[in-house]
Amino acid sequence: MNKGFSIDCIGYALFAVFVVLIIPWSANYSGYDLNVYARYLVLGMAAAAVALSWGTAGILNLGQALTFGIGSYIMAMHLKLKASGAQAGGMPDFMVWTNMEKLPWFWEPFQSVSFTLAAGILVPVAIASLIGGFMFRGRITGVFVAIITLSFMLAVQLWIISEQRFTGGQNGLTGLATLELFDWSVDVYGLAFYYMVAGCLLVVLTLGLLFLRSKAGLVLRAIKADPERTRFFGYDVSTYEIVAFAISAGIAGIAGMLYAMILGFASPTYMGLSLSLAFVIWAAVGGRESIVAATLGGIGVNMAEGRLSDLFFDQWTLILGVIFIVVVLFLPRGLFGLVMDLRIKLESHFMANPISRMNTSLDKHRSETTASQREGK
Amino acid sequence: MAALTLEKLTVKFGGLVAVNELDLHIRDGELRCLLGPNGAGKSTTLDLICGKTLPTSGRILLGNQDITHLPEFKRARAGVGRKFQTPTVFKDLSVIENLEIGRSAFPGVFSTMRVFRTPIRGRIREVLSLVGLEDEIYTKAENLSHGQTQWLEIAMLLMQDCHVILMDEPTAGMTAQETKQTASLFRELQGEHTMIVVEHDMAFVRDIADIVTVMDCGSLLAEGSITEIETNAAVREAYFADTGDDHA
Amino acid sequence: MYSWLNEIFIGLSLTSILLIIALGLAIIYGTMGVINLAHGQFVMIGAYVAWFLQSQFGIGIIVGLPLIFIAGALLGLVIERTIIQRLYRSPLDTILATWGIGIVLEQLVRGLFGSDSRYVARSEFLDGNLILAGIHMSYYRLFIIGFALFTLAVTWFLLFRTEFGTKLRAVIQNKEISECYGVSANRVYAMTFAYGAGLAAIAGALITPMVSVTPTMGTKVVVDAFLVVIVGGVGSIAGTAAAALMIGEASAWLSYLLNETTARILILLGVIVLIRFRPQGLFPNKVRR
Repeated sequence: MNKGFSIDCIGYALFAVFVVLIIPWSANYSGYDLNVYARYLVLGMAAAAVALSWGTAGILNLGQALTFGIGSYIMAMHLKLKASGAQAGGMPDFMVWTNMEKLPWFWEPFQSVSFTLAAGILVPVAIASLIGGFMFRGRITGVFVAIITLSFMLAVQLWIISEQRFTGGQNGLTGLATLELFDWSVDVYGLAFYYMVAGCLLVVLTLGLLFLRSKAGLVLRAIKADPERTRFFGYDVSTYEIVAFAISAGIAGIAGMLYAMILGFASPTYMGLSLSLAFVIWAAVGGRESIVAATLGGIGVNMAEGRLSDLFFDQWTLILGVIFIVVVLFLPRGLFGLVMDLRIKLESHFMANPISRMNTSLDKHRSETTASQREGK
Repeated sequence: MAALTLEKLTVKFGGLVAVNELDLHIRDGELRCLLGPNGAGKSTTLDLICGKTLPTSGRILLGNQDITHLPEFKRARAGVGRKFQTPTVFKDLSVIENLEIGRSAFPGVFSTMRVFRTPIRGRIREVLSLVGLEDEIYTKAENLSHGQTQWLEIAMLLMQDCHVILMDEPTAGMTAQETKQTASLFRELQGEHTMIVVEHDMAFVRDIADIVTVMDCGSLLAEGSITEIETNAAVREAYFADTGDDHA
Repeated sequence: MYSWLNEIFIGLSLTSILLIIALGLAIIYGTMGVINLAHGQFVMIGAYVAWFLQSQFGIGIIVGLPLIFIAGALLGLVIERTIIQRLYRSPLDTILATWGIGIVLEQLVRGLFGSDSRYVARSEFLDGNLILAGIHMSYYRLFIIGFALFTLAVTWFLLFRTEFGTKLRAVIQNKEISECYGVSANRVYAMTFAYGAGLAAIAGALITPMVSVTPTMGTKVVVDAFLVVIVGGVGSIAGTAAAALMIGEASAWLSYLLNETTARILILLGVIVLIRFRPQGLFPNKVRR
């Protein structure tokens, strides 16, 4: 909690500069590239969501794509309604084709922008709290959490695909209007939109970091190390797990909403196992212990994919698989772990500094202690 | 007033009766030592009190409060702290972070969200110097020596500051010097805190005990002062019953 | 009456397929705690080997089974020795690493053979149906049911009546002590993984006449297999069989009564509830890890 704060701040500042200044500059402040970068930022946000509960609390959520997908569907519902004003009863086209008589009641509230924005965060949070409560109050951990979250996501995905008259089915929600936020018509290829996305990302990361760097985050780390012991100190472990889980879901929901705007559609394909695992891979590559590193992992991998998939079109997925195996085997703490280890090595060479002292002179201390113990006995 | 009362506390694991209708009354501020041969059920009794294991029958009363069916974290909040046989600290966290976890007066998530620093003064400073870990504040717990880890766990319990403290073999693996220090620490804690100590080191027990309870095969065998216990025939039999030969 | 028997038969058929696919996964999970998400790709590779043998050498599925088993086992062995053995410390990491392996295998097959669906014909002597009590039971499906039971029996025999099986069970119960007795845990793990992979390959070969053989067929089966294994319980063959039966029959009946999608949703929800209230599975092996 206390340590290393100033150094971390430098890291955060660099990240902010990268996102706010360097990227837009390299995209020449407008156009298609900017939209692509905005997409990378959003995917990075999703990776951060996974890292928050996984890296800190040890909760592997294989169903993160569910909350992400719900966020995107919520935004898409609003935008679809906006585009369907001319239709009978304001119904989206697929409802007309499937012979629906009128707009289902649960679609109605999404006419309002404010409701949509609130729902995009609160619905994923509510769902996560319910599923989280169901699991964590039952003291379910580890692999079983992964399976339950995965199964639930698949069940919802199946439902969405099957209920075409409510959800657009396999095709998803397409033909979306442009979002209008309080008189601002959001052009997703414009600089303003990019800054909106970047702003959301920075706000989300800041709030996440505030949470993780507080004692609550410390308790989560204790829970990851030894949940039973944590209980014996009076902490209600399941509540902490539910909160972490819900916060991750909220972040994923925001990312999902932005993604629907960027893509221009929402689809059940983005609510599946592959995307969930992709989030996990990006967080793993960046470093699951740090949400900023995980975000960079998401941005980095997708950026690499964007650049290299033209060159290696056929083999990109293969390369990704290999990278993933390598990371899991040799870099369990991701690139972040690598940087941290390097930092410690450098410091112990060049600086006399408490951080280096604590780790490198430990062996000396231990051998001294054991020697005196032997004498004492 | 009794700080802790066990009434006919029983726990069965399949066919094995680990604790058998145990009655225990521990006064406020007392230091009770729990002795007995291996397998007597001492650690299991501690498990039952702190909530690690649920009883098959019987009651546990903390003061006037029936805590028999409370989950562990609620018992901890009610004032029960436990030190485990093998030192159980949070290996990935530093010493100061471990102590911060121990400081659990406000354990709710919305309270802990608002704490960002552990200022090294006041109680924390006191505790650090008491256990001799002032130089290891930022050391990761996994890098401490065995004795230091024991001390850290004790320090965490001091931070937790609960009324009833359960200690399971607190001096295991300690040097003679460290054991002496632990004894004086316990004597200091006594009075304000009620303590139940499971131990095998008889010198240590003699140093600290008010009343000693001896268990055997899950039941209470004898209870009294140290001298009474040492001269009790049933106790001698329980400890030395099966062995014809000397064992040092 | 007629439709009930028919549904029971379909359920048994689904069960047998699930069982053969899941058995290998169950053994691996039970022994080493490894959740092998690449298992689906082993199944897929078994299918491709079957196709390859048939299209290049005219070897039928049944005849080719021993070869296919060996191919799968060898692949499993290589993967275990190079990658899996480094990951026994962490079950969550093995999920991720095996997912990566699965992606790599899938892409390699796609690169070598393309994404088009391949056709594999079933052995001629198994064509046709047995008509009993008015229901049509395809000989091929009957064969698979029988083969599943056979595989179950063989696995049981291996585990409980051979020296290897004893060593395996010893290692499952207590790795360190087994090693003190001279049992090489590494070798046991390697052989077990190979056996599981071989079983997966056979499963893949057997289902080729009934599904489309594409590089992506693996991901479709791995989730189901995964669910069967977890529901059945760690390290329990009986549990895996029981879980396969439950899920197989439930699939058949719910599809019949409602529709396939709803059936699947209900099964997923059912699995969730089961795991939540009984995470150790149906017939857990009381093993202290």
